[in-house]
Amino acid sequence: MRSCISCSEGSETAEEISETRESLAWNPGRETVHADGEAREHEVFLEPLLWGLFSLGGFITAFLFPITLFLLFFAAPFGLWPTDPAAYSVFVLRWQDPLVRVFFFVLIGGSLFHGTHRLKFMLVDAGLRSPGVQAFLDIILNAVAILGSLGALYYAARGWLF
Amino acid sequence: MSAIYGLIFLIMLRDLRAGESAYAAFLTLMRTPPLLYVNLVLFALVVWHAVSWFMLIGKAQPIQFTERPLSWKLVFGINVLLWIGVSGAVVYLVFGGI
Repeated sequence: MRSCISCSEGSETAEEISETRESLAWNPGRETVHADGEAREHEVFLEPLLWGLFSLGGFITAFLFPITLFLLFFAAPFGLWPTDPAAYSVFVLRWQDPLVRVFFFVLIGGSLFHGTHRLKFMLVDAGLRSPGVQAFLDIILNAVAILGSLGALYYAARGWLF
Repeated sequence: MSAIYGLIFLIMLRDLRAGESAYAAFLTLMRTPPLLYVNLVLFALVVWHAVSWFMLIGKAQPIQFTERPLSWKLVFGINVLLWIGVSGAVVYLVFGGI
């Protein structure tokens, strides 16, 4: 009798485990593969990439732009800095430093991807909602961001890497 | 606005590469009164963008190290301190210090 109860308890436990295993999503090696399975939904790749670049560009713009703009365009004209960091003799020497070149490449690329993506959604919010217009905006604005970044890469690498 | 400045920097690098006279002409143009004041307004918008971005971080994606997410004001304060530190690093590392 005792062994029967133990046996029945044991089988219940085994069933429970089996049911649990069937119901859990974690089920390595036991996934059924259908040869004629339904086609998966098209994987979205470009949209998250563009939003990621927008976000990265937002951080770059927020952290690096104010001080850079201040030093290059306002410090000397308003007499707020002892030297002129934008003067040719000063800036051309700083430009020899690879870090400065990388800095301006990151600054330009980040700001272009951030700004063009934001501009696209400003225009969409303003009423340019038709799919054709949105596709046109995507092409034009992303082309500006990509070509501008490549231009910045060219100026940064020219005279340093080639 | 940030894209406009991105393009302005691109023109600056092109003129730097073109030589001293082209670069000096660019700098003079950027510092003539009408453009300087337009630039000043755009600069104010850039600073506002930075401030609003830091205000947004703690709200858009609450940061959670403790049981409750950090308040956006604390996240804003930390970001402003980071901003000051990063700006100091830019002054010394990119522009060669004061």
